[in-house]
Amino acid sequence: MSYIGIDEPGKRMLLMGNEAIARGALEAGVHFCSGYPGNPASEILTTLSDVAKEFDSYVEWSVNEIVALEAAGAAAISGLRALTAMKNLGADVCADFLMTANLSGTKGGFVLVTGDDPSAHSTTSELDTRNYARFAGIPLLEPATTQEAKDMTNWAFDLSEELEVICMIRTVTRLSHSRGVVTLGPIKPEKRSANFGFQDMWTSGSSRITCMLHSILHEKLKKAQAKFEESKFNWYVGKDDADFIIVTSGTGWLYSLEAVKLLELEEDVGILKLGTTWPLPEKLIASHLRHAKEVLFVEETDPFLEQNVKVLAADLAIEGFGPIRFYGKKSNSIRGEFGAGTGELDVDIVIQALTEIKELTYVPTEKEYISKAQELLSSIVPSRTMSFCAGCPHRASLWAIKKALKWDGRDGIVTGDIGCYSLAMLPTGFSVARTLQCMGAGIGTANGFGNLRRFGLNKPVVALTGDSTFYHACIPALINARWNGANLLLVVLDNNTTAMTGHQPHPGSGVNALGQSSSKVLIENICKGIGVEVQVCDPFNLDEAVQNLYEMLQTDGTKVMIFRHACPLAFPQEKKVRVYVDQDKCIGEECGCAKFCTRVFGCPGNIWDYEEGKAKIDETICNGCGFCAELCPEEAIIIEEAA
Amino acid sequence: MYRIEIKGPRELQNEVLDKELCSACGACTNLCPYIDMVAGRAVMIEPCNLSEGKCYDFCPRTYIDVPTLDNDLFGTYRSDLRIGSNIMVIKARARDDEIKSAAQYGGVVSALVTYALESGEIEAAVLAGASIDQINPKPTVVRNRSDVLQCAGSKYIVCPTITEVLEAAKKTTGKIGLVGTPCQVTSVRKMQASKFETAADKIGLVIGLFCTWALLPQAQDYIKDLVGSVNLVKFDVPPPPANMFIIETETKKVEVSLDEMRRFIMPACNVCFDMTSEFADISVGTVEGAADWNTVIVRTGFGKELFRQAREAGIIETAPLEKERLDHLYEASLNRKKKVLKEMESKKISCLIIREEDRSKLLS
Repeated sequence: MSYIGIDEPGKRMLLMGNEAIARGALEAGVHFCSGYPGNPASEILTTLSDVAKEFDSYVEWSVNEIVALEAAGAAAISGLRALTAMKNLGADVCADFLMTANLSGTKGGFVLVTGDDPSAHSTTSELDTRNYARFAGIPLLEPATTQEAKDMTNWAFDLSEELEVICMIRTVTRLSHSRGVVTLGPIKPEKRSANFGFQDMWTSGSSRITCMLHSILHEKLKKAQAKFEESKFNWYVGKDDADFIIVTSGTGWLYSLEAVKLLELEEDVGILKLGTTWPLPEKLIASHLRHAKEVLFVEETDPFLEQNVKVLAADLAIEGFGPIRFYGKKSNSIRGEFGAGTGELDVDIVIQALTEIKELTYVPTEKEYISKAQELLSSIVPSRTMSFCAGCPHRASLWAIKKALKWDGRDGIVTGDIGCYSLAMLPTGFSVARTLQCMGAGIGTANGFGNLRRFGLNKPVVALTGDSTFYHACIPALINARWNGANLLLVVLDNNTTAMTGHQPHPGSGVNALGQSSSKVLIENICKGIGVEVQVCDPFNLDEAVQNLYEMLQTDGTKVMIFRHACPLAFPQEKKVRVYVDQDKCIGEECGCAKFCTRVFGCPGNIWDYEEGKAKIDETICNGCGFCAELCPEEAIIIEEAA
Repeated sequence: MYRIEIKGPRELQNEVLDKELCSACGACTNLCPYIDMVAGRAVMIEPCNLSEGKCYDFCPRTYIDVPTLDNDLFGTYRSDLRIGSNIMVIKARARDDEIKSAAQYGGVVSALVTYALESGEIEAAVLAGASIDQINPKPTVVRNRSDVLQCAGSKYIVCPTITEVLEAAKKTTGKIGLVGTPCQVTSVRKMQASKFETAADKIGLVIGLFCTWALLPQAQDYIKDLVGSVNLVKFDVPPPPANMFIIETETKKVEVSLDEMRRFIMPACNVCFDMTSEFADISVGTVEGAADWNTVIVRTGFGKELFRQAREAGIIETAPLEKERLDHLYEASLNRKKKVLKEMESKKISCLIIREEDRSKLLS
């Protein structure tokens, strides 16, 4: 029995937000789970896959988010409870299906969990997915605590099933990845048979049928709204007739509570905490707008509540509400380092807004303390940039690309993509990549760069992708390139895993989310099927890698180079070797090397011996790949088979 | 004395590579992980952070300090402005039939290298060897007669011979030899004169070739188009006024106008001041109108001694070079210097350091 599946109602456990979401789904008796890995949502599916056997449920890592949502949708219309989890940008990928699935409806509970990433810790955008709920016209829940993450997920299945519409849960990094105490509820596994009968139809139709279904969706939303008016996830704290209220959701709730407490404003400021944020519980909100003269909105990223509540307030004006002064993103009251509507919320941001509005003085931290702390830290914390792990094959691949492009000499363009190798834009990747957008945009944009010769841009174009990203988002673009004659070289950095999000398997791994073996979908076979030239090469065979890349760049056409070498974190080397520097041979900073291994190549396993002025190996993190030994111009790096 | 400023890879990039002055000699490559030789050009993968480097110091296009090099080699500044310091200019050819048939002209280069190897004067030598496609020459380390014969024949496409010289020297206990073009000979002499420590002191014999230009590797595609995929036997450029480039294959002989080939001449060759490898121990070239002979300029005492021994051992035979031919050699070499010096002045290339009186003499 895994800890997440413990059937002890009332037991209190410390769970990560994503685990709480998974637990909520288990309590709801989820049958079918799907998703694509992406921070901060990855652990939801990982947790569910760990207990799939135990609960007789089905869990899959899908090839991408839209396939995940479509597959889950089919399970749900067949009467099962289905959950799909993804990061915020995954919602973009599945949006096409979402915009018809909302109309088509569901039978079993159908829940979409999106993990937003304010401050973009591990994302290329701060996209606020709540807009998708409004866009698609579907119920939206926003947990504020770990407990709510579990409880809301559980309830979302009931709500979806009752209203026959997909429901959305929006979490954020700070909730998904923090831990909190959760009181467990009962697990209600319910055996269900999937059924999609002879007469069943599942479509958003077209023309009049679509309009009719659209109208039905509006009715469903009204029902949801009625339920939300009574929801236990919405509450108010403070004086019943407070002039000043904070309207908040998600993480904003605890930040607001803490800010009000620290400023000792409990008597003056009421807090309306909303857990059901689309459609808005209008009556509940109106009951508090009635006594408010000033309203401050505290929410992550977009002014979602802010705009929707203001629309409500406009409707209420005729009933004698107001005038109310609103504060939030538009008034620039809630703003972080990069201004309003950007970056993560925190307590200090709420304090800053309250002190400005209420003209209070509150110094959270002495300025002197901050400068002293910074000074102290800078003396003990080394400054460092993000880096590929020790022994990472991407470092070798990108060095090969850098060399091949220099050999070519035409200032080739490298388009980057999403994965560990996004670091190709930084010194650890020799700064070779010059673009980075979304999944698949490397080859997508390369289709354009590779067809601009007629407009005077005549440079070789190299598109990067990882293996998982290749399956996810690159295949149509590769077909497009072949079809429209784009001159591009797609380099697939195949490390046999979805490394960046925590080593989830993918179609080329030979294993699925349940740990069952599956036949590998080989990238080279796909490329051959498309009819493009493809080569496979181990990037640790540097000379061959550079030569082959260089030769491929010398002629026109759409081509693929697969640099294949397994991620050493996921697949540690079996043969143990010891790598060390023979410091008598090392010439250090002298001409002929100039600290190549530490200054340029930059594997964390290569470190500098300041006392000797020579290179050395950090044997605690060196994984023994031995690639630096191949690069050392003095052959000073020795590989020795460990005893 | 002239003050030479040794600079680093960034200046090599700015002063030589960016200006297309790289002659692909190979002296800056194989020294470090930052510079590669690719298709007739040195390519900076990423400049290292040093302000002084061997790459800059060894390059025959960063600076050529003629007075210092002359002094190091000959003990004095050149006595002959036309073809550089020399002890004698003579006609010679190999006596060995096998060498003669493999060689392009008189076979003196192959014969001397073979003799130096066999007499123990050197342990190995670096030559421009034929590559598999028979077009692009590749630096080759030879250790015996049959290795040398494999490399015989004139190469017209540039070969970065020097990439292998220091490597070969490191791996040899005895001395090594080298056959190179004037730029390559210059870079090797710069290595020997350098303050940087290398294995260049193991270079025991430097045979220089007469050279007026080399072709870019891109010429190979053109040549392949001309003759198809057949085995090439040799290239030849008969002396003026023929104005021909001759490609011989196993089955045919294709003649191309030299003007056709000129577009493949390395731009770096247009600023080369040295036609006869003036810093070699022995320089070897053709004899106009006598295809089975070589012109030989013996320059250093060491070169003189080796040449004498080879002749006494019956490896080569010699004859005096006719005055008319000698005068023609002087004239051709001098004219080249005048032309190139003007070219350098107009392009503001200041790498050549010679005495001021010589400069004004040549420019007048």
